[in-house]
Parts: sequence; structure tokens; C-alpha cells
Amino acid sequence: MEDPLVQIGAQIIPFFLLMLMGFIVGTTIESNHYREIRKREAQTRHLPTISFRRPPPSWQITSTALVHGNTVVSIDYFKRFLAGLRAITGGRITSYESLLDRARREALLRMKASAIENGFDAIVNVRLETARLANSSRNGQGTAGVEIFAFGTAVKLAS
Amino acid sequence: MEWEPSDLPENNVTDVHPLRELGLLLVGIGGATIVLTLVLAFFIDGVVRFLPAEWEARAFSGLWEELDPVSDDRQGASQELLDRLSLHWQENPYQLRLFVIDAPEPNAFALPGGAIGVTRGLLDDVESENELAFVLAHELGHFERRHHLRGLSRSLALGLVFGAATGGSSGTLLTEWVSNVTQLGFAREHELEADRFGLGLVVAEYGHTGGAADFFEKLPETGAGAIHRMAAWLATHPVSPERIAALKRVARQEGWRRHGELTPLYLNAEPR
Ligand SMILES: [Zn+2]
Repeated sequence: MEDPLVQIGAQIIPFFLLMLMGFIVGTTIESNHYREIRKREAQTRHLPTISFRRPPPSWQITSTALVHGNTVVSIDYFKRFLAGLRAITGGRITSYESLLDRARREALLRMKASAIENGFDAIVNVRLETARLANSSRNGQGTAGVEIFAFGTAVKLAS
Repeated sequence: MEWEPSDLPENNVTDVHPLRELGLLLVGIGGATIVLTLVLAFFIDGVVRFLPAEWEARAFSGLWEELDPVSDDRQGASQELLDRLSLHWQENPYQLRLFVIDAPEPNAFALPGGAIGVTRGLLDDVESENELAFVLAHELGHFERRHHLRGLSRSLALGLVFGAATGGSSGTLLTEWVSNVTQLGFAREHELEADRFGLGLVVAEYGHTGGAADFFEKLPETGAGAIHRMAAWLATHPVSPERIAALKRVARQEGWRRHGELTPLYLNAEPR
């Protein structure tokens, strides 16, 4: 019979490696992403992006188009473990907050980039849709991911 | 309408360091698990004492099959010895059964429902009936105090809590390990209680304690190779000088005769 400590070690060591890797890689990617998001937001902040269903009556619109941006994100092992613990206790799943925050901002940025690229002056009626992409089952199989889809009506104004 | 561009407010992410979050959650859940296990074990302990022996036998007879008992020509004589010893335990609620297990390490254990398993290694090693009688009577002592169920209630509580927390599979190994570790603490106390009871039965049967502690006293002299063989026995029945001393003290207090004629083994059985 094998030593139970050896067996437990065989289960725990991969877990710790995954946790460590998830933490280091996940944190690095996240902070890099945030830096990039803030930079791109500063570059695109001149584009009016509003959630009103109709453009202001004073706008003289010459053309419109549907613009959209889409992001699919997954979560690292460390954050997933944290979220798993939160599933026991309840409360804020803080590890998911930053994930979804990044995904929303990234989707909006992609939408704005496509509007700017095509020479539009503003986006109205901006909406966000969220879809759960895959289920993370309890034994860690399957991939947890969400899709955030941002869309709106881009308008060109008579100058 | 004036257009005033502004930065997005950064108010969607709680400002808490992930490692701090991990620490808080682990400490909180770990603490709650320990408390829950203790409370649950306490309640199961309380209930289990009133479980009728017949229920116990019916509930756990499935477990005996897993021992994979073998037929051995010493089984009949050992069962007869066990029955003879149990006559001295008036309140015995159990229908006692003795199983022989095909294992080389000398070991014996009490299973819920009144079953006692002895290994072939044990039957090979004992040199007198008195010696075997003490091992069996010791196991009867575990039944008398319901130690077997108390250990079980702890493992059961641990299993329930860990199973709920981890969703099953990954919990079982950890449960086993934790329950083994926690078991060791109170095992010593239980062994002493079972020894005391067992010695009483041996004296009632033979009129003296001779041969009873032979099994223990052999241990230090059997050398390093033999100690490994003994490991299985030691794991569940820690033998220490204090245990032997406690046995001698009990015998002295009760005024039991320390020496007497030893009964040879297997009077009714064919030699192997
Ligand atoms: Zn014992």
C-alpha cells in the first residue's frame, strides 16, 4: 500500500503549481491589459459614445451603420479557485469583477475603433450583451469563459 | 448640446489584493470546516451509543465482505475461544463473528456489528491460547466501549463535511488521512481501556494474567526486520512501555495472579 502522504502530495503539488502559474501569469496579463485599455481609452475618448436610443435632435445625420465589438475571456486557475471558494461562502466574487470589467471595456474599445476607422463621428444606442460561453463544471473540466458583445449605431454628422 | 469627453469611472472592481482574499477565504472556510466537523462528530457520537447491536450488524455486514475472509483451519478454534471469552462479558449485545484474513502482518481489529478480524500472521505468531485470548479480549474491550463506532463517527463527520466542500472525489483521500491523524490522538486512551477490559476477561477465563502480555513483550526482542512486520499492528495498536506498565499496574491493583499455567493453542484443531 502506498503512503497516503505520497498520494496526497501527488494531488496537491500539481494544484499548487497551477495556482502559482495562474496567479503569476494571470496577474501579469491582467495588469498589462489594464495598461493597454487605459491607453486606448485615452486615444478614443473624443468619440461620443452614448446609450440614448435616439441621437440628439440637433444632430444632422448623413449616414449610419451598425458597429460592434466582441470579446471572449477566460479566467486563470487561481481566480477560478477563488471564485470556487466564494461559491461556498457567498459574497462578492472579486476575482470575476476585474475579468468582466476588462471584457466590457475591451468590447467597447473594439466597437469604437471600428467606428473611428470607418470615419464615423459618434455612436448612439450603445448596448452590451453577455453570454456565458462554456460551463466550468465542478471537477475543473471545461473552460469557463464569457463573451461580451458591444454594439451601437454609428453616425456621421454634417459638419 | 455640448459634448464633454470624460474618462470611464473605475468603480467596477473591488480593490482587494487577490492573495488577501485567498487567505481570508481559506482561513474562514477551514475554520468553519473544523467547527462543523467537531459538532457533527459530537452529535453522531451521542446518537451512535444508542444504536442497537442488531441494527449495527445489519448496517455493517456489507463491510465484513470487503475484508475478504479466507478459510483457515484455526478459524473454528479461534471462534470457539472468542465465544468462551464473551461468556464473561454479561452485557454483550453482539453476535460475535471471527474472520481470518490472509495477511502476513500480525494484526486484529474490531469491526462495527460484532466482527473481529485476525490476520494469519497473528495466528502464526501467538504461542499460547492465553496470548490469543488477550488479543481477542482486547478487541471485545473496543466493542464494550463502542470505540469502533466512535472512530467511525469521526470519519463519517469528516467525510460528510469534506465531501460537501469538495464535491466528492478529491475529498476522500484527504478525509482518510485527516481521520487517521486525529484518530491517533485518542487511540492510545482507547487502547488502554480495551486492555484493561481484555485483561479482566482473560483473568475470568484462566484465573491469571500469564501469557497475556507476551505478545507485547516479544516486540522489542524481535529485531529490526520483525519491527517492520509489526508496523501494521503498531499503526492501530500503539505499543509503548507505558501501555505494558499500565497492564501490570491494573493486574497489581486488582490482585490478579501474574503467572499461571498456559493453555496450549488449538486443542480442538488439527495442526497445520
Ligand atoms: Zn485496540
